[in-house]
Amino acid sequence: MFQRSVIARRVTSALGTCVCLASIACGADEARRPASSASAVEVRDDAGIDVRLDRPAQRIISLIPSATETLIALGATQQIVGRTRYDVAPEVAKIPSVGGGIDPSVEAIVGLRPDLVIAWANDKRQAIREKLVSLHVPVFVLRTEDTTDIFRGIANIGRLSGRDSAARATAAWMRASLDSIRASVAALPRRKMMYVEFPDPPMTAGPHTFIGQLVSLAGGNSVFSDNTSLWPTVSMEEIVRRDPDLLVVPVGEYTQNTLERFRQMSGWRDLRAVKHGNVVTVPADLVSRPSPSIVESARVLRDAIHPEAAR
Amino acid sequence: MSDAVRIRVAPTRARLAWPVSARLVALSILVLLSLVAAVRIGAVSMSLHTLFAAVAGRGDPAMVTIVRELRLPRAFQAALVGAALAVSGATFQALLRNPLAEPYILGVSSGAAAGAVFTVVTGLAVRMVWSLPIAAFAGAVLSMLLVFRIAFSVGRALDTRVLLLAGVVVSAFLVALIWLALAFADTDSVRSAIFWMMGSNANASWRSVSILVSCLVPAFVILLGLARPLNLLAIGESTAAYLGTSVERTKLVAFGTATLLTAAAVAMSGTIGFVGLVVPHAVRILWGSDNRSLLPCSALAGAAFLVAADTLARSIAGTNELPIGIVTALVGVPCFVWLLRRPTGAIA
Repeated sequence: MFQRSVIARRVTSALGTCVCLASIACGADEARRPASSASAVEVRDDAGIDVRLDRPAQRIISLIPSATETLIALGATQQIVGRTRYDVAPEVAKIPSVGGGIDPSVEAIVGLRPDLVIAWANDKRQAIREKLVSLHVPVFVLRTEDTTDIFRGIANIGRLSGRDSAARATAAWMRASLDSIRASVAALPRRKMMYVEFPDPPMTAGPHTFIGQLVSLAGGNSVFSDNTSLWPTVSMEEIVRRDPDLLVVPVGEYTQNTLERFRQMSGWRDLRAVKHGNVVTVPADLVSRPSPSIVESARVLRDAIHPEAAR
Repeated sequence: MSDAVRIRVAPTRARLAWPVSARLVALSILVLLSLVAAVRIGAVSMSLHTLFAAVAGRGDPAMVTIVRELRLPRAFQAALVGAALAVSGATFQALLRNPLAEPYILGVSSGAAAGAVFTVVTGLAVRMVWSLPIAAFAGAVLSMLLVFRIAFSVGRALDTRVLLLAGVVVSAFLVALIWLALAFADTDSVRSAIFWMMGSNANASWRSVSILVSCLVPAFVILLGLARPLNLLAIGESTAAYLGTSVERTKLVAFGTATLLTAAAVAMSGTIGFVGLVVPHAVRILWGSDNRSLLPCSALAGAAFLVAADTLARSIAGTNELPIGIVTALVGVPCFVWLLRRPTGAIA
């Protein structure tokens, strides 16, 4: 089993690491003149709409926790004026919440006088965007499925917040870190495993999600890598037939014994992985967030899949 | 069950002996108070002075936007939807002579939900925001037509019992279709669809308010004009016919109008439960079931109730908005039970 204390320490340090490295990388010049360039920015968002700001946003409301993390990592914490109730980063604990990510209080948003709202592309009704745009609040929509989306999101948030060079430095640091994690398992055999997003009905991360890609980078070979859905719901029979050696399970808290629960669930208890006790938990909070923290997620996944490569 | 609609819990119960005009004035004041509260209370707190300035369009532009573009249209939409559901509920209860009748009983809500879910699942709602309410309205109207088609194909005249059953089965069929679509949809679509089905006035705008007004006013005039025939129908269809009511025409016009009214309300705010069932009953318990008074009183009471519920839903938990259906049931049920149990003659 994975050491609990190690995970806990890693999670809390994950963001700190990002912020630290990003601010070291971006250097002192940007710190002295925090995003005050008067030039207009125009960026196409992930819904295909061009968002134009007269100057980089100084009062940003992030409706996406991962975008909040990205802003923090780029050193733009001072520019955040609103967040959702799902944000956990300590840097924004004192910043007012505007409610949920897809059902925020529009009134609270308008009351904070934002010059940019970063919102989910996931709301299929698009009601919030329509409402805010009609009230002349610029909305930038993010859709994040794979790691390419994550890097594009970081670059876009960098441009919108006037922190281009910090965004470039962060992306370079992330690429280098991910490369070194990939290198650390290059010589090891890829483990036949399954990422159990949800046990009943069984759901896993498809190969085109950032989690699927990180699992693969960390030396895992998902038994469902042939399923091209983003988050495939798979049958228990098919799991038993493909019989993974290892289950990686994202969990919210560590009070329950995950392995014990799998030993009691029909179907799961017949898997080789469960019989041999090869059930490893990873912090759901960390691995589910498509932000610069994917570096830390990749490391946690690598340590889960290949403990022998962990340092 | 010919006059079950009067819910004779205590047939001799003394009712509030208010003249109709006094009831209407009292309820209008209640609506006005609830509207003032709705504009006053919200996630962003502001002083009365700021509030008045904002209503007049002066002062801080953010506050002006909050009051004039968010709170006012939302309060009006809640009032209109509440009125529409209560009036349509009262009409259905009179027509079907069934105390369990409510605006959604003929499959309107399931039809609207099926239309809304279709636009969500196909991604149409993302490309064209107005496709969702239009599809919801179309779904509601189509399901209504289907229900009537089934009811008319059984027997010569419109049998309200067959109509009720047709409503129930069409509704069940549409709900199954919705879950079938959602079973194959991605999680985002499922979440968006469920948010819609829970009902909310959060997307109110002056446009939705003006559309609702243009539906509600003519529908209300038509139904009020049918109040006397509806009274006679509540006694029984043959009695009504003897007394000179053209029963089939009255039923058809009343059903059609009430259903279209519900469809318009559901298209704007999703399916908000409970208002259409309980508000007319509450008014009936207080002031009797004469539709000439019941319909306007229900409209005003429904408006005041839904505005109050909407204000609670968006302010009770800070910036976290509760689904309005939770508030209408949690607040409405105890009030209604109290009304039901009110000892006879306590208010005379």
